[in-house]
Formats: sequence, structure tokens, C-alpha cells
Amino acid sequence: MAISGRFVLLALAGLVPVMLFPGWGTVLLVCLALCALLLLDLSIAASLRKVTLDRTLPGNVTLSASTESVLTIGNTGNRTLRALVRDAWQPSAGAQNPRQRVDVPAGERRRMTVTLRPARRGDLKAPHVTLRAFGPLRLAARQRTLPCPGAIRVLPPFHSRRHLPSKLRKLRELDGRAAVQIRGAGTEFDSLRDYVRGDDVRSIDWRATARRSAVVVRTWRPERDRRVVIMLDTSRTAAARIDDEPRLDTGIEAALLLAVLAERGGDRVDFFAFDRRTRGRAGSASKGNLLGQLVQAMAPLEPELIELDWSQVPGQIRQISAHRSLVVLLTPLDGGAPEEGLLPMAAQLAQQHVVVVASVRDPMLGTMQKERGTATQVFRAAAAERALLEREAVAIQLRQMGVEVVDAEPHQLPPALADAYIRLKAAGRL
Amino acid sequence: MVFALGVALTIFAQLSPRGDTVALSTRNAAPDGARAVAEILGNQGVEVRQTDNFAATMSALDSTSEHSAFGDTSEDSGDSSGTTLLLYDRNGYLDREQLQDLQQATDRLVVVTPRLNALSALGGDIRPAGVVPAGVATLDPGCGTDDPATAGAVTAESAYLYQADRPCYEPSEGLGGLYATSDDGRLVVLGSTQIISNGRLDEQGNAALVLRTLGGSDHLVWYLPGIADVTTADAPKTLDELAPPWVAFLGPWLALVAVLAMVWRGRRLGPLVFEPLPVVVKAVETAEGRARLYHDSHAVDRAADNLRAGTLVRLARVLRLGPDAESTAIVDAAARHLGRPAEQTARVLEARPRTESELVRWAQQLDTLEKEVTAR
Repeated sequence: MAISGRFVLLALAGLVPVMLFPGWGTVLLVCLALCALLLLDLSIAASLRKVTLDRTLPGNVTLSASTESVLTIGNTGNRTLRALVRDAWQPSAGAQNPRQRVDVPAGERRRMTVTLRPARRGDLKAPHVTLRAFGPLRLAARQRTLPCPGAIRVLPPFHSRRHLPSKLRKLRELDGRAAVQIRGAGTEFDSLRDYVRGDDVRSIDWRATARRSAVVVRTWRPERDRRVVIMLDTSRTAAARIDDEPRLDTGIEAALLLAVLAERGGDRVDFFAFDRRTRGRAGSASKGNLLGQLVQAMAPLEPELIELDWSQVPGQIRQISAHRSLVVLLTPLDGGAPEEGLLPMAAQLAQQHVVVVASVRDPMLGTMQKERGTATQVFRAAAAERALLEREAVAIQLRQMGVEVVDAEPHQLPPALADAYIRLKAAGRL
Repeated sequence: MVFALGVALTIFAQLSPRGDTVALSTRNAAPDGARAVAEILGNQGVEVRQTDNFAATMSALDSTSEHSAFGDTSEDSGDSSGTTLLLYDRNGYLDREQLQDLQQATDRLVVVTPRLNALSALGGDIRPAGVVPAGVATLDPGCGTDDPATAGAVTAESAYLYQADRPCYEPSEGLGGLYATSDDGRLVVLGSTQIISNGRLDEQGNAALVLRTLGGSDHLVWYLPGIADVTTADAPKTLDELAPPWVAFLGPWLALVAVLAMVWRGRRLGPLVFEPLPVVVKAVETAEGRARLYHDSHAVDRAADNLRAGTLVRLARVLRLGPDAESTAIVDAAARHLGRPAEQTARVLEARPRTESELVRWAQQLDTLEKEVTAR
């Protein structure tokens, strides 16, 4: 049960008779009248047991876009439902108008549209709907909360999409398809064609030239149909915020850019998020659009407060690809953890695969290391220096094992990783 | 032990019946009290009752007059029966009607240092006549009234004089005296509080005069008017009395409306929805925590080693010496690069600061050196 502001105003108006005829009798009379009105209104209000709810949701929405959730309210009772309806979305779903007044005549249905502007990536839920049915006088209402679960999946924003055109152009240059003056780089034989002025004389195929009257050159193209396996670390270290963005989100951006690029480059991409078990998986092998699958897999990821189990990682990668692949590990290089897990595992993986470790560097450390004004700042600089040295040491050890290390600040990581991929592809190391 | 004893004494002192500090009170044993008189009279069989408000006094007078009336019929002792009322109204709390009521209710009224309005209310022709002149220490009765004549001389310091038909204790002829009685003897005016007080009772004939004056009857009511006697009959009307009757209902009704408003606003439209917030930590926290550890433990050496190692690694990279270069090689290379003697560069790079201020200065030198090498 609930009372309305109108009832409060009515009670305030009750002050007039009380003041005109002061006395406890008047007070009692007015109170009784108010109670009678309240009970009357409450008894004529529509029953909330005869209400049906139906929710229609768009399913997916990208972050910073807005969407609409439609709630259909059916009234199977025989009295008109004058309801105040609250569609209870969790706060980060950004429901703009979750409370609405809906009048549903007996036996009919009405739609209520709630605009959502999600503020967070992930699965956002609305567990229930609360209805408040007022009587015809709108003095009092019955209230009931009905379970009506709904969820929308907010996909990662893919801000690094803006780097895609330039990286694709680079890829096409490698392919030899772009209008450039250099021959297509790569190691895989593509085709023979007639020599034109400007071609590198080293690429002339003398055997084919001997068979024909014209000079023939070989063209090359980068390898295709290689495997790219991206592992995203969702362990406790992914919760660290660098430059207003958790490491996990930076990793998602980098993984998305690399995956889209590699797919256009003709390679097979597989992605998995892992800490102690697989949190999400997507790949080119399955049906449908790769990008769509990737964002679906990435949307619900959250950092888990547990340590990454490195011993399982080779097994996971073997499950995905039995052949030589490009293995990209999106994991931090910071001191402590890598020595025990990352280094031995990277060494093991590097024997079979091409391994790239991509890590976010904290620009704050560089700033701290340069400030040397007071004793406090110098100690901070020393601590930052220590952290940077430890990172550097890990990076050097990884490079000695033949592992590629991409170490960049948050906004630079996705393009830097894409560049590393293009470089490896051009060098034919995939 | 001593402490326990002290506590016990304090508690005993707090719990034991206590007197008051009112001047001329029969419970006040101080020099300005009148406990001595009351004790003596009590020992002589006079029942002394002290009151401090008008109603209590009237009821005391009523009960004693009934009692004495009963005594009268049984003993017929004449002179010693009846009630005496001692009235010492220091602040003039009593009004005319109350004084007259008191006078009617008692057989004998002894008034101590009354003022003009009190005397005029009590009737008779006794009037105040100033104070005893300075330098007069004692006064002789000089009149034929029984009590003063028997008592003899009394002390006269800071006493008031009263003009009457037969004043006693006149400093000089016609000035008025310290002791005055009305014609019928039912009203006695005493001009001095000193002669009743514990401090002066034993001097001269004070005791004799006081005891004779007060001990004339079986019952003595000792009335010292207090603040409770201030009449409030003519006080202005309160706000409640002035306000119309409906005002009394205004507050409660508005409170009821306020409660209803709280119920209206306080009823939530369904339960809250749980928001699972992800864990997010600032990445630089670990480095900052380590910096605070260094600072708190004054780890100057360790901080210096870190800064030196960082600078050497960067210099080696800038000077293209490879990651395995020895520090001496880096020092030499840096000196050559800058065109300075090797000792100078070595002094900066190999210094060992001892205090925090040295560390700060050295860290800045290190930074400068690094910038110089990078700039060239």
C-alpha cells in the first residue's frame, strides 16, 4: 500500500474544519473521513494480481549509444488499471524514464518504452518491475513488485577502430595490391607477370623468361591462412587502472584491432580470455562475423581477483591450434608475477609458436621518475625507477627468448600491437 | 585506606542532614543564623516550627491555635498559652493582605526590622525612624515595658529605630527605639537582627530580651518568607491563554500531515537494484606504496641505487653500449661524449648520498647529467 501526495494535501485541507470547529470531536470526525476515503479508494483500485508483463529488449547495444526497452503491461482484471510503473534497471543501464504513468483499461494492453543509455560495458540487468495501482481518486495505491527479468549486453566501444584504415593500407601495401612503387613484400610465391620498368631485377624469373620471349618477374605475397591466437589476461592484474582505463579495457581494444586486421590479412583469428578458466572464446572458425562474435565474447568480461594460472595456457593454445601460430599474450609485465609464470611459459611457447607479449605501460611512472624537487618526490622517482627497471628486465629476458614485446601507453597499445603484427607478417615469420 | 576513609567521610558528610545558610534560620548554625535561640526555646518546652511560605505558615498557625485552644480548655494556663509568630521578611515579599491575615491568625506577632509598608499594613502607629547613630554600642531599656526592663542593656550595632508611643532602647529622647510594642502588646517590633543571631546572642542582655519576647507562648512559628511568597496574581496572561482555541489543534494536525508526507515520500517504488561494480585499482599504487616505504624507513642508499641503475641503463642505451655494459665503461663513454674528464662524470655517477638533502641534490645532478648526454 502507498498513499499519494494528493492524500497528504487532503489531510492538510482537513485543517480547515478543525480550525473552524476546534475540539477533539472534529479531529476524530475528520480523521475518520480521511480513513474512509483512503479505504474506499484503495478498494476500488485495480487488482495487481491480474496483471501480465512482457518485456521486449534489443539484445545488444554499443556503449555510448542509446536503446529502448519496451514493457507491455496487460490488464486481465475487470477494473481500469491506473498505474505508476517502475522498470527497475540497474543504475549503470542509464534508464532515462524508468517511472511512467500508464493507464490500462480492463482487458487491454499498453506499451511503456524506457530509454536506456548504458554507462558501462557488460550485461546490464533489470530483475523486476514494480507497479503501483491507484484508485480513481488517486489518493491511495496498491503496490506490488513482479519479477520480470531482462538484460541487455553492452558491447565494448572499439575506439581503436579509427586506426584500422591506416593499418589496412599498410597491409595492402604488403600484399602488393596497393598502388606503390615497391614490389609486394612477402615470402609466398604468388604469380608471374611481365616485367615492367621499375621492377627489381632480382625478382626476374630466368627460367620462365627463357620459355618466353619477354622478361617475366615473380611476384610475392605475404603468407595467408596463418593462425593468430590472442589471449587476454583477466586475472587480478587486469583490474589495474591506467590513465582512467582498466588494463582489461585497453587489452580488449588492442585485441579487437588486431583481430580485425588479421582477419582482413587473410589469417585465422582465435581469441580467448583466461585467468583460471576460460572466460570467453571466439574465432574465425565458427560461423558468422568475427567482429560480432568477438564483442559478444568480450562484453561480459570483468577482472577476476585471482592469479592467472600460466600452467594451463599452453594447453589452451594447443586446443585452439595444433600448428605454429602467432600467439599474442595481452598481460602485464610489471614486477613480481611475470618471473614465475610468464617467463617460463613464454619460453615454452616460443619453441613452437611466434609469441608476442603486449603490455600497457603506465605513463604515471615516467612522470614520477622525472620529478625530483623534494625528498618525497625523489623517493617516488626511485620507486618508479625500480618499477621501470623491473619491467625492462622482464622485457629483455623475453626478447632473449625470441619473444616480441610490445610495451606501450594505453592509447598507443592497439596501434603498436597492429604494427608488430604487420612487421612480423612482412618478415614472413608467421 | 586513607582514601577509603576520605571517601567514607565525604559520603557521610553528604548524607548527613544539613542546615541552610539563610540568615536568622533556626537551622543555620553560622554566626548570622538563629539556631541557638531555637534550641534554647525548644529546651524550655516551646515548640518552634520554621516555615518558608505563606500557606505553610497559615496551616502551622491554624494547627497551633487549635492545639492551644485545646490546651486552654484543659490547663487554662493563661499567659503562656497561644501562638507567637516571628516574621522576618528581609526582602519584603509579603503584601498587605497576607500581613493582615498573619496578624489575625496569631496571638502575638514579633516582626524583625519591618519596613514602612509592612508596618502600615499591620496597623498601629509604629513607624520606622532611621538607624542607631554610629558609635553607640549598647542601649539601655529606659522604659517601663516588662521584657526590656528585665533584660537590661542590649547591643545596638546596625540596628533600626522605630517611633512608637512607648519605644524602648532609645539612643536619646525622641529618636525612637530599637524595641517597640503596640498598645495591646500583640505586635512587637524588634529593630535588630544581631541580637537574635547566634553570634551576638550571648552579649549583654540580648538573650534575655529575645527569649522573653519569643518564649511567651507554647508555640512559636518562625516564618522567613522566601521566593515562593511572591504573589503572581497580577502576572500578564500567557500566550496559551491569549491564543484562540483552534491554535491548540494546529500543531498536532500539522504534525499528522507531516507524518503522512513522510509516509508518502518514504514509500519506495520497489526494491533497489543491485549494481555489481567491477574492481578497479590505480596501477601506480604499488610504486607509490614502495616510495612511501623508502621514505618512512629512510632508505637513502636503496633509493640512490635505483636512481643510479635507471640512469646507467638509459645512458647505456643512448650511448649504444648494449645492455651488458659495465658501469665504468658507461662513465667513460659519457665523459667522452660530453668532452669532460672521466673523474667528473664518475663523481656524479658513483656518489653515495648519506642524507635526504644530499639525495635530493644528487638526484637532480643525475638528472642534469642525463639530460646533457641526451641533448648532445
